[in-house]
Amino acid sequence: MKKKVLAMLLTGAMVLSLAACGSTQTAPAAEAETTETTETAEPAEVAEETTETATEESAGGYELALVTDLGTIDDKSFNQGAWEGLTQYAEEAGVTYKYYQPQEATTDSYVETIGLAIEGGAKLVVCPGYLFETPVYLAQEQYPDVTFILLDGEPHNEDYSDYVTASNTMAILFQEDQPGYLAGYAAVKDGMTKLGFMGGMAVPAVVRYGYGFVQGADAAATEMGVKVDIMYHYTGAFAATPEAQAMAASWYQNGTEVIFGCGGAVGNSVMAAAEEANAKVIGVDVDQSFESDTVISSAMKKLSVSVYDGIKAFYDGSFPGGSTTVFSAENDGIGLPMDTSKFTNFTQADYDAIVASLVDGSITISNDVSDTTTADLTLSSAKVTFVE
Amino acid sequence: MSVVYFIFQQTMFFMIPLLVVALGGMFSERSGVVNIALEGIMTMGAFTGILFLNLTGGSMSGQGQLLIAVIVSMVTGAIFALFHAYAAINMKADQTISGTALNLFAPAFAIFVARVIQGVQQVQFSNTFRVAKVPLLGDIPVIGDLFFKNTYITTYLGFIVFGISALVLYKTRFGLRLRACGEHPQAADAAGINVYRMQYAGVVLSGALGGLGGLVFVVPTSTNFNATVSGYGFLALAVLIFGQWKPVKILWASLFFGLMKAVAAAYSGIPFLEGLGIPSYLYKMIPYIATLIVLIFTSRNSQAPKASGIPYDKGAR
Repeated sequence: MKKKVLAMLLTGAMVLSLAACGSTQTAPAAEAETTETTETAEPAEVAEETTETATEESAGGYELALVTDLGTIDDKSFNQGAWEGLTQYAEEAGVTYKYYQPQEATTDSYVETIGLAIEGGAKLVVCPGYLFETPVYLAQEQYPDVTFILLDGEPHNEDYSDYVTASNTMAILFQEDQPGYLAGYAAVKDGMTKLGFMGGMAVPAVVRYGYGFVQGADAAATEMGVKVDIMYHYTGAFAATPEAQAMAASWYQNGTEVIFGCGGAVGNSVMAAAEEANAKVIGVDVDQSFESDTVISSAMKKLSVSVYDGIKAFYDGSFPGGSTTVFSAENDGIGLPMDTSKFTNFTQADYDAIVASLVDGSITISNDVSDTTTADLTLSSAKVTFVE
Repeated sequence: MSVVYFIFQQTMFFMIPLLVVALGGMFSERSGVVNIALEGIMTMGAFTGILFLNLTGGSMSGQGQLLIAVIVSMVTGAIFALFHAYAAINMKADQTISGTALNLFAPAFAIFVARVIQGVQQVQFSNTFRVAKVPLLGDIPVIGDLFFKNTYITTYLGFIVFGISALVLYKTRFGLRLRACGEHPQAADAAGINVYRMQYAGVVLSGALGGLGGLVFVVPTSTNFNATVSGYGFLALAVLIFGQWKPVKILWASLFFGLMKAVAAAYSGIPFLEGLGIPSYLYKMIPYIATLIVLIFTSRNSQAPKASGIPYDKGAR
């Protein structure tokens, strides 16, 4: 008990000394409750030192806040991508920023942490992930003066009966079918004819990736006059399991040349199988080329770009509140990392051409995800084997 | 034919961790201590082993590195199991509860330490341990393809552990005493055996094998360790029961489970099985249904050690 009190006092003192220029009394107390105080305080301190003049007028605290979802700030996915966008803007514009990690993954805990961030002086709160749909739905009414950016979802109430995006909220969705399409197209254009798609849970984002992948491969195959076989499976979880590894290995053994590992750690199992079979993998969400040499490219959502743009719009006074912004090829919200890609025949010029035709709308991708089995797709040159 | 070889090789990846961990559980239970903490022990063993691979990744590679990692994992598992031993043997605690506590503790510890050390929860490692083909032995027809191609040194280690376990349990004085402690510790005590020491030995052995099993589980199937062994510790308990606490039966049980898991996971890549049109759920269910059926028919005269799970009380009659 003594130690606990001591620790609380120490953290309190530390936060106080860091927030020396701040004047709100609630901030230190609030921050002592979060689990990440010491860790988060450091980047904030740096920012504060460099930007003291810029923030003097504000009421202290941290103007930009990010509340993490299930993962951590360095999850190589949503949180990290959003955080990168936020820090990039904050450092350019000289705004204070900080992230908050909820104690547990419940709506109550999310709402509470959003409250903490606001007490800590946040004017804009970034909430990455569809788990925040309900928390933001509640918070946007509770804190009408604060602005919210919700990634990968639209605010709705607990039982999905009411969807409201208030004027202080910007919802961001990604057209995952487009990066999926690019990946499938590039793989076939690169000369591969036997492909695989291994998704995590069949949630809309994953299904859109998969549908795009299949259609991209089909389009390229039709252009080139070849036939393409695609194995297609959802593992049902976002974890690396021997089952996923064995399935990927069996596909590779059966002649599959590249597998699109689309579902968090599922990709790691696919990479393990690929290393064994000397085969190839396509990564997802972020550039995964550094995780394994077998990754030839990644179907990316540019999370940091979307967050950066959202925050910038907020400060420029053109915040698209009350609506959902869809990031796609048109606003450079998705893509393949051509710099780190290991294609042999598919060139930057080919990539630019296909992206251009996505942008001008000459390619339409079916992204209706009500049926997840790809049975509803009309394909001309690709044959999909759906594996339960 | 290559499909058969492929399935067999995949079966090994599933089977060896189950075999090793179930054998570990066997030592513990035959000494009279239920070890439900196998899942947590696997997690800990995998964590330190993989962390070792991660930290020495730049300077070491190949089989030597893997063997040291094996030792690291086994030592970790043994030490971690000591907590269970202390609670179960000295403190006479409910063994299910202390085991559960360790199961809850292990992943949290792995995440915490990984984040303290490297800031990220996933521990990456580069896999340089695969043996594409064992020289000479790999050239033998059929057997060479089955056992000596696309394999890991840990597969052989698993079989060695099996051989030694069977020998130790049935052919040595230590094994006899261990079994006696699991059946009737008071009688063993009367015969001059230090029951506490035997139970400690059983639990520590199970910890070492559990830790090894954790490492063996992660290395072939992923490129990083994310503080989980996907319930394989509990599956190993099922193998242990299915194998009726006997080494040879455990071997067959783990082979059966491993084969079913491999087929369920890999059938889509095998044209023959794909053509049968049997849903994969069926393959996934078979091991568990088989376990249930076996339990139904054997529960009357179960081979479980009689004193397993009961804290040893010297004064009890």
